[in-house]
Amino acid sequence: MSQPVTEPQKQNRADEFRLEMRAIVKSYGGVRAIRNADLAIRPGSVHALVGENGAGKSTLIKIIAGAERADAGDVFFDGTPTNIASTTDAIKLGVQTVYQEPQLFPELSVAENVFVGRELKRGLRVDWSAQADQMHGLLGTVGLPEQVATAPVGTLSIAQQQQVSIAKALAGEASILILDEPSAILTDAEIDVLFTVIRRLTAKGVAVIYISHRIDELFRIADEVTVMRDGQTVSTQPIGDLSVRQIVELMVGGVLSEARPAGDVHRGSTVLQLDHLTRDGHFSDINLSVAAGEIVGLYGLIGSGAADIAEVVYGINRASSGRVLIEDQAVAVKTPAQAKKLGIHLLPANRSAQGAFSFQSIALNIVIGELQLLGRLRGWVSKKKEREIARDFITRLAVKTPSETQPISAMSGGNAQKVVLARQLVKRPTLLVLAEPTQGVDVGAKEEIHRIISGLADEGTAVLVVTSDLSEVLRISDRILVIRAGQVVAEFLPNATQVEILAAAAGEVDK
Amino acid sequence: MTLEKKPAHSDATRRTVRRVLPPPVTGQEFVLIGVIAALWILLGIFTPAFLTPGSIQPLLVSVAPIALIGVGMTFIIITAGIDVSVGGAIMLCAVVTAKALVTTGVPLVGAIALSVALGLVLGLVNGTLIAYGRVHAIIITFGTANVFQFLALRVFGSSTVNGIPSTLEVFGRGEAGRTLGVPNSFALTVLAVAIAWWYLRHTAGGRHLFAIGGNAQAARLAGIKVQPRIVATYALTGALVGVAACFFIASGTSTLDQTIGSGRELAVIAAVVIGGTSILGGRGSVIGTLLGAILVATVTSGVTQIGWPSQLANLFVGVFIIIAVGTDLLRERARRKS
Repeated sequence: MSQPVTEPQKQNRADEFRLEMRAIVKSYGGVRAIRNADLAIRPGSVHALVGENGAGKSTLIKIIAGAERADAGDVFFDGTPTNIASTTDAIKLGVQTVYQEPQLFPELSVAENVFVGRELKRGLRVDWSAQADQMHGLLGTVGLPEQVATAPVGTLSIAQQQQVSIAKALAGEASILILDEPSAILTDAEIDVLFTVIRRLTAKGVAVIYISHRIDELFRIADEVTVMRDGQTVSTQPIGDLSVRQIVELMVGGVLSEARPAGDVHRGSTVLQLDHLTRDGHFSDINLSVAAGEIVGLYGLIGSGAADIAEVVYGINRASSGRVLIEDQAVAVKTPAQAKKLGIHLLPANRSAQGAFSFQSIALNIVIGELQLLGRLRGWVSKKKEREIARDFITRLAVKTPSETQPISAMSGGNAQKVVLARQLVKRPTLLVLAEPTQGVDVGAKEEIHRIISGLADEGTAVLVVTSDLSEVLRISDRILVIRAGQVVAEFLPNATQVEILAAAAGEVDK
Repeated sequence: MTLEKKPAHSDATRRTVRRVLPPPVTGQEFVLIGVIAALWILLGIFTPAFLTPGSIQPLLVSVAPIALIGVGMTFIIITAGIDVSVGGAIMLCAVVTAKALVTTGVPLVGAIALSVALGLVLGLVNGTLIAYGRVHAIIITFGTANVFQFLALRVFGSSTVNGIPSTLEVFGRGEAGRTLGVPNSFALTVLAVAIAWWYLRHTAGGRHLFAIGGNAQAARLAGIKVQPRIVATYALTGALVGVAACFFIASGTSTLDQTIGSGRELAVIAAVVIGGTSILGGRGSVIGTLLGAILVATVTSGVTQIGWPSQLANLFVGVFIIIAVGTDLLRERARRKS
């Protein structure tokens, strides 16, 4: 396995797969995460796995890594039918996974992290010398300097931690290395290092499964690409036979264009303006404006920086440089409380963590942001008024619930989201920022939430929608800005196609 | 490994080995040693009786059970768990063992075996509920603490246990409880600390406890059997509670009352935390725990000997805990930022 695999040898091995999966099916509860997936990975090659969020990539790699078990389907390892029942089984087969979030132990040294779970022993003791010997080559292979061996992992940068994760995977004699979105957190220079490491590994015969949203970079590293859509593998081809656009078309399933809501845009004066706004490490030099009555969609893949822009506008995080202007006044929004005073409201992306007070009633969840409106005296909250306001919103937003006293935790995702949205509307916002407004919401409720947002804009609210949902951004935006690697890379009108937008977000070069 | 065998690596290797692990005794432990030494000297100056065997020996006797249980508690807290049921467990082990001594006159070894076996069972109950029930340790052990107390009070009945024979005097405060002037219970505790220190530092099993506390999910993915390891830490603590219960019986009078074990869980956790073990898991040391227990006992005993109101001891211990936890949290925050 140590001699380099040359081109002709690769050809000879064409019918010999390191891993082959046929007709894999996997459901969670009643939801089919994978309907029918086939995957065949050659040794000594890089196989890219791409698809939109929810296409089933993560589930498929979890099955390979033994973290999940398939409901049906066959797995072959070097041609032999194999049952991967646990992570331990997978590790024995040489399947090593580097997850998106480094799975490391911050307090332990790099050397300990690399060997954890398979310590070299001398009698009862861990053989530190033998481990240190093995570390020497390993750190070089993944491009880390020798001296980090003794540093606690918690003190390293994210990129270095990822290199440690790869070293950890290699210490276990990897035959298949799965890299889940390895480039999402890396800078361009760090990606170059990563690719060098990957090439070193494939030269040794390791099969690499490479998952990424950045389609353009696949052309630099991958040999083959498998595209997943709606839980199915729809295509496997040598990457040289495809263009970015063709891959994106396979991902979204044809050249569909979504209908957008009809009606004129009554654009008023500029409400929000970002002027060269930069937050180091997240986004840089963002210029955009949102007018009263306008809905601007910020579309970006996970890690693009789009979500970070919303957090700076709402005062959750601070900008490093640049200005935020509200109604032509430069403002320094340092806390969410200040943002609210300026009439900026945010619908947070993570409803359960940042939005809902789970055990509280619907009514309280609606009025919690504006309790001062409820009291006749300062600090005194009128329950009667609370219920009136809640009932009003339940009717206006068509929230399905028997009573406003129900806890929000008893509601479906869509209805809970309407309640959290209602909270932003108790006092009418000047600027409403929505982060992933319909994530985890069923189709019917999604439609209704989109209608509510459109209605608000028609009444003159400026709306900024941050979303990674392609059909959503096309449906509700008057203008679409595509964010990639922390920058605005393209602007579209709603008559653009999904393919054009995704291609820009994924990094098609000529766009 | 000799130089001849691995000439290419030996130097670099050795340097690496030395630094892969944290130093054998950490900075925080040296600080604790310094604080304890300073206190002892100060107390020695203000109350000359303090630095005499008659004062130090009882101090070490009182340190022994706390530090011994502290060894198990350190293991638990390193895995990011906690056990607040040790007070109740001490009470139950002590009353059952004392009753056995009174009624059946079991010999020394039998009494210890009984107490340890009972403690082990209690620890296994805790560990199993925590590891497989997936409820936070503080909730489970808060519940079992009450159950253990209830059981212990049932065994007590409505009276104290009287007329306990001197079977356990080898762990007592008297001459029989000392070897070369050192209390046997303390010597045994130091031995346990030494073994635990070596285990945590040099065996895969020990390092895995740090891994579990640092990131349980990653530990599972690395092939570590997380749940059995967690059960083992609580079982160990239970067994050590069994031994410590014998220390408590031996160092008391011939009467055991219902206050036995009361509040001890807090004393043990205080020793562990003051000793530098992170309440967030992933970092800790048993040497620190021993020093923490000595520091707490020194303050408690010193305050009384100087003639200050005894509640001042609570104030000092409280301040130590806040300093220790505060340092830990600040360190964690600084790390997150970098």
